[in-house]
Amino acid sequence: MFTWRKLGRVFDPRDVKGRPWLREFAQAPATLIFDDHVRVYFSTRPPPNPDGQYVSYSGFVDLNRNDLFDILRVSERPILELGGLGTFDEFGIYPVSVARSGGEVVAYYGGWTRCESVPFNVAIGCAVSRDGGETFERRGPGPVLGYSPDEPFVLSGPKVRRYGDRWRLWYIAGRKWKVVNGRPEPVYKIRMASSEDGVRWERSHRDLIQSRLEADEAQASPDVFAHGGRYHMFFCYRYSAGFRSKERGYRIGYASSEDLERWARDDSKAGIDVSDEGWDSEMISYPHVFELDGQIYLLYLGNGVGREGFGLAVLEGTLR
Amino acid sequence: MRWTKIGKIFDPTEHRLPNNCVQFAQSPQALVFADFVRIYFSTREVDRSNGKYLSHVAFIDVQKDFSRIIRVSERTVIELGKLGCFDEHGIFPMNIVRSESRIYGYTCGWSRRVSVSVETAIGLAISEDDGLTFQRIGDGPVLGASLHEPFLVGDPFVRIQGDLWQMWYIFGTSWERLIPGQPPDRVYKIGYASSRDGIAWQTGEGRQIISDRLKTDESQALPTVIKIGDRWHMYFCYRESSDFRKNPDRGYRLGYAYSDDAKDWTRDDGRAGIDRSLQGWDSEMLCYPHVFACDAQVYMLYNGNEFGRHGFGLAILE
Repeated sequence: MFTWRKLGRVFDPRDVKGRPWLREFAQAPATLIFDDHVRVYFSTRPPPNPDGQYVSYSGFVDLNRNDLFDILRVSERPILELGGLGTFDEFGIYPVSVARSGGEVVAYYGGWTRCESVPFNVAIGCAVSRDGGETFERRGPGPVLGYSPDEPFVLSGPKVRRYGDRWRLWYIAGRKWKVVNGRPEPVYKIRMASSEDGVRWERSHRDLIQSRLEADEAQASPDVFAHGGRYHMFFCYRYSAGFRSKERGYRIGYASSEDLERWARDDSKAGIDVSDEGWDSEMISYPHVFELDGQIYLLYLGNGVGREGFGLAVLEGTLR
Repeated sequence: MRWTKIGKIFDPTEHRLPNNCVQFAQSPQALVFADFVRIYFSTREVDRSNGKYLSHVAFIDVQKDFSRIIRVSERTVIELGKLGCFDEHGIFPMNIVRSESRIYGYTCGWSRRVSVSVETAIGLAISEDDGLTFQRIGDGPVLGASLHEPFLVGDPFVRIQGDLWQMWYIFGTSWERLIPGQPPDRVYKIGYASSRDGIAWQTGEGRQIISDRLKTDESQALPTVIKIGDRWHMYFCYRESSDFRKNPDRGYRLGYAYSDDAKDWTRDDGRAGIDRSLQGWDSEMLCYPHVFACDAQVYMLYNGNEFGRHGFGLAILE
């Protein structure tokens, strides 16, 4: 079992002033490391419209590399405007994952649209930054990874990595819309695709992580980290119904792999859980692992899937 | 090209249709058997939850001289998609392709949106019972929105030549509020994709293969392609992108293009050889052409006024 020592909450979006697009939520943290700071991308929301519906924007905070609790800067603008009328990302850009490629930073993101019979649909978009990750431009107006016969809807939660000369993308794919108390709730599973150029993706066409809670367990945030000659995946999972409660909400799971294809799930090793009280006492989700100056850190969300920001934990011992 | 209209051969209001469908017989598509022709079409049920339409596929079997309908489908040909799927609210059209013992149905699936009325994508279903029923290969589409074809991928027309699968289809290029106060209108163009297995398709990544004729915002729909001798012929329909439903000057009519390599097309509507009638069921609009060969003759099925509300007709190539 790993031992993560919680260091506390790093960022609370409610503390930020003067940014109308950033009011509540700092979801799905993803890092990009610079010489003197760590940029953490996250997704946030302005207040909902009169119908109670949200849009999501993505931005970043820069943290002092020598003190990750020292916030140097909050991005003035979203890194990408919402998509045009009728496009897949018209109503949200959430979450975002980035990787460097030459002098560029390439972002993969979930683009949200609104539907009539179900509340939303999501597909994965791609955008490129030529200014070090401050602003991004879409590779095209449509998704880079869209729906296919065995991945019919809700393609989201992209996490991009580059190992050797291959691009890897872990993501979630919707399996069914389950009607719970008259409300459609999506069930999704963790999947993977690989690519030579980051644009044309070959999918592996199978669920990577065995379900544990129930057949309809929903899995999200497949965050892969290479260390010690193995691949480690931290992710989150929840029940398909009643998951807005403490008992059935998101928890962090763990799996490992030697070859990126076959994954052995062992949640008992995850080593991090909800706290007894406070901002992460009901729910813990959207893990992101990164290494910095000889330490391994984990960013995560607490209650309300990040409504009150994200926190940081540090690994005690080694990841094996 | 010169077509002689035989006239309307099917009126949906004169028959009992499955799935509570009462009007519309849109986008007819032929499957030729030894002693009859099966014509698939999309017809409409009113969705009781909100008064909107649901499009279902049905068929008729007709004698080979097209003089008599010998069967109207009694049952569901293909179920609509599941909750949240791309084809939940309609299948219109379904293009039918025979390959050895199998019959493939390439569907244009419809699902409703909030900021715009609809999104579409192309699915694949297979029939093992001579086309009476079709089962989809998966809940999702084989060809949907992609990087440079961002929405409204639909209207497939597939042709199989050895191990080359060719598809002509449409993709959306914009949703715009062309008329203030009205819902957004869409613009779409004809594209081409190819495949080795009929499932994984390589598109032209937003390449429009048929030039525009109208000055602004021409929408092109439902390509149908036939090879006669060494020459490829394409019919399709096109219209203005706004005020096209009730204004006959802006509604669908038929366009035509030809090619000698199935890649580069020359548009020449003046040679289409078929136009609206002076009066009657196809006097205001001409749309959704389907060209096919049957016993050494070439035929065209098509819809008339109101996008096929009143049925479809047939013409024969002279």
